[in-house]
Amino acid sequence: MTLADSQGEETRPQDQVLALVAQIWEQGKDKIVARIDTLDQATIELLGGRLEAGMRREAEREAHKLAGSLTTFGFPEGSRLARDIEQSFQADSPLGPRDALHLSEKVVTLRQALEREATQPASQPSSRPPSTGSRLLIIDDDREVIDRLSADAPAKGLDTEFASNLAAAREAISRQRPAVVLLNLSILGAKAECLAFIEELARGNPPIPVLVRTPMDATLDRVQVAKAGGRGFLPHGLPPPLLLDAVCGVLGQKETLPAKVLAVDDDPQILDLLKGLLDPSGARIMGVSHPLEFWNALEDYAPDLVILDVDMPEASGIELCRAIRSDPRWSGLPVVFLTSQRDPETIHQLFLAGADDYVSKPLVGDEMVTRVLNRLERTRLLRSSGETDALTGLSNRQQSARSLDQLLGLAQLHSQSFCLGIVDVDSLAEINQIHGYPAGDKVLRRLAQFLHGVFRSEDVTGRWDGPQFVIGMYGMTKADGVERLSQLLESMWWEVFTNAGGFKFQVSCGAGVAEYPANGTDLTALSQSAHQALMQAKSQGPHRVLPAGWLPGQEALSQKVDVLLVDDDETLSSLLLHALENRGYTTRWLQDGLETVEALGGANPTIRASLVLLDVDLPGLDGIGVLRRMAREGIVGQTRVIMVTRRTSEEEVLTCLELGAFDHISKPFSVPVLLQRIKGALRMPKGDV
Amino acid sequence: MTHKRVLIIDDEDDLREVARICLELVGGWEVSTCGSGSEGLVIARDQQPDAILLDVMMPDMDGPATFKELQRGEATKNIPVILLTGKERPADHANFNELGVHGVITKPFDPLTLSSDLFKVLGWPP
Repeated sequence: MTLADSQGEETRPQDQVLALVAQIWEQGKDKIVARIDTLDQATIELLGGRLEAGMRREAEREAHKLAGSLTTFGFPEGSRLARDIEQSFQADSPLGPRDALHLSEKVVTLRQALEREATQPASQPSSRPPSTGSRLLIIDDDREVIDRLSADAPAKGLDTEFASNLAAAREAISRQRPAVVLLNLSILGAKAECLAFIEELARGNPPIPVLVRTPMDATLDRVQVAKAGGRGFLPHGLPPPLLLDAVCGVLGQKETLPAKVLAVDDDPQILDLLKGLLDPSGARIMGVSHPLEFWNALEDYAPDLVILDVDMPEASGIELCRAIRSDPRWSGLPVVFLTSQRDPETIHQLFLAGADDYVSKPLVGDEMVTRVLNRLERTRLLRSSGETDALTGLSNRQQSARSLDQLLGLAQLHSQSFCLGIVDVDSLAEINQIHGYPAGDKVLRRLAQFLHGVFRSEDVTGRWDGPQFVIGMYGMTKADGVERLSQLLESMWWEVFTNAGGFKFQVSCGAGVAEYPANGTDLTALSQSAHQALMQAKSQGPHRVLPAGWLPGQEALSQKVDVLLVDDDETLSSLLLHALENRGYTTRWLQDGLETVEALGGANPTIRASLVLLDVDLPGLDGIGVLRRMAREGIVGQTRVIMVTRRTSEEEVLTCLELGAFDHISKPFSVPVLLQRIKGALRMPKGDV
Repeated sequence: MTHKRVLIIDDEDDLREVARICLELVGGWEVSTCGSGSEGLVIARDQQPDAILLDVMMPDMDGPATFKELQRGEATKNIPVILLTGKERPADHANFNELGVHGVITKPFDPLTLSSDLFKVLGWPP
């Protein structure tokens, strides 16, 4: 509102006052910023153990002034924080470095509070129009993200609701089921509880897709969350419009046709029970109580999934399953067994016959429904492609290539990481020769079943070529991929196969992992990189998973440090270096972009850093220029880069991520949060260095 | 109708300006302002305002010191003084009252109610 507007005939004096107050705020903001700078300065001196009494009094005074004025300008939260800070400086007790971190946290929060829109006491027109769109539940505590999402969501036909913790989220879900949940993983305290929550939603009836917003440094979390059923990892810092695109993408994936399930059990009561359990999930059940009627029913009904009882008088479920598997038309059909015997021998028999899963009797409703729905979800993905590998039921090469291309496109569009893995059974030709082709086929099928089990709907799995299988992992980094494939290889390692002559044997596998965009930007380049890594893994021995770009026994001719800080802001840098060194990290500090490129790149780099903390605004060559050079010289593959960007520039963030930055943080940032991210980045497994 | 006249003494320019706008536009006060205690003493003596709104925390001569000087001046000792102070120190409020000020208004103030608060503290009908 301009001054002229506000002085019209009808304008109330209150509105005039508010307009003028806003104007004074805008014009005088520099002075406020200068006051906060003083607080920062005092915090830094405190951290260095040299905060003098005079400076402390000045900081107290500045905080006092801020506390006394921010509410007047429409920032009550700012006043509260400033009062907090004032009290810290005011206290009689001596302040130490620990207090400094708390204080710096508060000062950052204070800066952020002032970036938001002022709340004006007299103007609160907040009647939200009712929305008819799909409901999006946002579980997050980042006000900025929540505000942006709720502003943009209606245009996408989405109705939003928020919860800042799990209890509130459960409450909101019980009030009205959302169509999709966007969950910020970092706000949730207990990991086990959080995973259980995701699993509960993902396997609910009907399942609620959970999109997970997560810091890039939480490897294990990502793997575990994927296992629990969380979908689509969205890195912190992904701009809200892209978050919404991802949400809409998930909503668009919803399947509309009801799934068909054929159940065979000689006990009609069990069939009724199955119907009762599965009906609410939207699946249609056809029950057959005589095994001999099974084939006709199968042909007529063409189910998406079969449930077989193990013990039936006329033909056992195991026999039926073998028969299904020997028919090429049905070899990919998921089969879930019902069994009252759970001894290892019986279970082994089930899987040998080609079972995908089993549920023990007496039936526990949730477990049964979950297992059946899991299988259905996967088959639908395969069925929609219509091109499956007859032996394993996985997508064949053409189809996997198409799906991989799609995922890659999505990753490019949403600036997500994407990771391609190739798994290979060692010496398949010899297995075929020694144990016979049926035994070799068994190995391949078992591996395919494990792939089914380990990788979920966000991933693409396929039979690539002979003994090779391909896995596309959306939103996963190379480190994530290595972790997940290691789990798969471990499972295979414990598996004991039996050939036609009753001879028991075990197999080993190797795997290679490549990541977009570091190891290639198209499928051909990525699969070549993954293949090279696979060959390297195999040369290192059995059961190895290696990331692309792995170098054995790299000699250190240059200085190796944990963290290279590139920033020309001396006060901030001294604060960070001090904090890092206190935590036992080795550090180097450079202030110039060109100097950095020379130190890291070229034939004889003088510094090898595990992590580079790279400011965007640098003399010499700016941070993005440095990152570009690092990407071109392949340094980004060996060194993680956390970019320090300007607060408002989404484009800058995107560019950095595209160039392969590991993470980014925007100024002003919280030092403890940054330290946490640094810790995470250094902790993650990494084969590159 | 004659407007009530108030002198605002505060070293923070922006906040002083906000207070001036609030009192002029919402309450119809006639406002004069200055940024330090020593200036305030001179203006108070020359202009004889109906009330003085005095910030506590100022460099050089702070609010209480300014108040004491105002009390010492024949021409200014009868002008009611209201202190502007942070709300986080209740103990200080008691001290201020002991000092003999007419009242206290806490910072941060609500721009829309500052004028009515001032009337209230002074015990005048708005």
